[in-house]
Amino acid sequence: MSEQTTSHLSMGQKLQPYVSFIGPMAMIIAILLFMGIVEPARYFRASNLNQILLDAALYMPMAMAMTFVITQRGIDLSIGSVAALSAIVMAFLIKQYAFPVPVAMLIALALGALMGLINGLVITRLKVPDLIGTLAMDLVYRGIALVLAKGLVLARFPELVTEIGRGQSLAYLPTPVVIGLITMLLGYFLLTSTHFGRYTISIGSSPEASDMTGIDVDRHRVYAYVLMGTMAALAGILLTGKLNAIQATSAPYFNLHVIAAVVVGGTSLFGGRASILGSLAGVLLLSMMINALVTLRIEFFWQSVASGVVIIFSVALYTWLQKKDRDGGAGLASLFQNPKESKTVRLFAIIVVSLLVLAILGMLFSGDVKPSG
Amino acid sequence: MNLHAITETDSAVIKMRGITKQFGGVVALNNVDLTAYAGEVLAIVGDNGAGKSTLIKILTGVYQPTRGTIELDGQPFTMSNHSDAIAAGVDAVYQNLAIADHLTPAQNLFLGSELTKSFLGMSVLDNKKMKLEATRTLKDRLGVQLKSMDVLTESLSGGQRQAVAIARAVRHENLRVLVMDEPTAALGPQETAKTLQLIKSLRNQGLTVIVISHSLDDVFAISDRIHVQRRGQCVGVVKTSETDNEEVLSMIVGAASTGATTTG
Repeated sequence: MSEQTTSHLSMGQKLQPYVSFIGPMAMIIAILLFMGIVEPARYFRASNLNQILLDAALYMPMAMAMTFVITQRGIDLSIGSVAALSAIVMAFLIKQYAFPVPVAMLIALALGALMGLINGLVITRLKVPDLIGTLAMDLVYRGIALVLAKGLVLARFPELVTEIGRGQSLAYLPTPVVIGLITMLLGYFLLTSTHFGRYTISIGSSPEASDMTGIDVDRHRVYAYVLMGTMAALAGILLTGKLNAIQATSAPYFNLHVIAAVVVGGTSLFGGRASILGSLAGVLLLSMMINALVTLRIEFFWQSVASGVVIIFSVALYTWLQKKDRDGGAGLASLFQNPKESKTVRLFAIIVVSLLVLAILGMLFSGDVKPSG
Repeated sequence: MNLHAITETDSAVIKMRGITKQFGGVVALNNVDLTAYAGEVLAIVGDNGAGKSTLIKILTGVYQPTRGTIELDGQPFTMSNHSDAIAAGVDAVYQNLAIADHLTPAQNLFLGSELTKSFLGMSVLDNKKMKLEATRTLKDRLGVQLKSMDVLTESLSGGQRQAVAIARAVRHENLRVLVMDEPTAALGPQETAKTLQLIKSLRNQGLTVIVISHSLDDVFAISDRIHVQRRGQCVGVVKTSETDNEEVLSMIVGAASTGATTTG
């Protein structure tokens, strides 16, 4: 290791613990400033801020658990379906079988844990790569939810369910926010003070080193997925309470939203770096951003575009920050300098030019618009 | 010259006799003897494929020998895995150090054997105590003081990372034998000098240090005896003070044998 590398790292090192929190905080402040100028009246209404917190609360438990999964170099794309299936089962138990609500909720959590366990075993025992494994299990869980609920919307639940999902009985904070913050605290405790947390970081940092020091790598990876499944089920319960309704197609984009929040918060997709505080900031940031889009009356579908762009930019930024041989913006700049890359540039140019030519041709030869049908 | 005859009267810490290891049809080690004494640095040298790594993997319980016996302090010693070796006082520092870059030095030092305390009836990690003990182990045993114990290990220099890896091994009170695989391979000249100094101080604390190295300069700088492997066999054990670079080199490559060469 050269001296230069060392000094680079130690500088990044000093910044590292703060970067994960400062990054999203800076973006949050930017959103606040922007909305303060553009649409202060509606954005800063107490009811709207409450709404932002309510939206964020739904994602807090999952973001906490996803922090562990991603830190171990894993990923879980099945959380939306886990949430939906657990919630559907809970809803049936309450509505059709008149189970006591707390029991039905605990069953939902246990089911979530079971689905997480299955995910973990698929990945560690069957050696299916996490991306494919959890994507396939997503189909399985969603399919079972559809089989159970068909097109039914299960609605109108006892008060305890709605209290957990959108209640306000605890002072000024909505109940789900309190629950979400508690899970975040639990996550912080797990990460810093338990073997599971310590090994999560070491496995993400170096699976080989962890194995050589006698850590049961596979078992601790499974733990992370079990935590993830349980927290996804908790989110399913929160969602059911929030909407006072649940159906099999609920929660379709939980996975990318949660991954975006965690990655924005500075947890590295390459493993080893975890930031629970950053994940909390990431969840708040995404909720504020989406709420801002709604407040600005931008079409709903742009939310998906915004989330995707946020993921790409944060991952690119943190990759650059954490790179050992930082080369400035050279990755992109080299496209135009390095002769080796000129072919990529040419391909890019060919595609854009052909698109333009086709568009112009289309316009030149376009006829009158005939109403179809 | 027969070193075994001279030293047999001393108490050998490690005595490997007739070690043979076959991987399928390939004979990696053929009837190798190795003896190591307390408070000495024994260097193992040899070309690629000479069986150095296999030999120390058998010593540290990673591999089981096809034939042969190992004695620790005169007692027969069988291991089924690396943990058995550690429990018996034989540990190794590998070339890639087995360090998790994203943990602090103290967290690495105790990785896999964390200290815990009781908190509300639960057993939780005692981070404060681990940091304190790690600082003490590094300072007292290795004479290394890091600027900060709170940085991640990835920000340390190569030599400091080496020290953390060694500290993890010497932290065990019952450590008798420390095996080091190419400890200086990834280090610059200054870091190499520091690491060699470290190895000497461990020897002076009474440890048996077995070092695999490609660098004959390093071997002559620190070792007391040199065990030369060639094509799976021990082609000789020489006292470092009674030989020179050239002789050892000729043993490694198998050129005209000299009087110092004995069959292991």
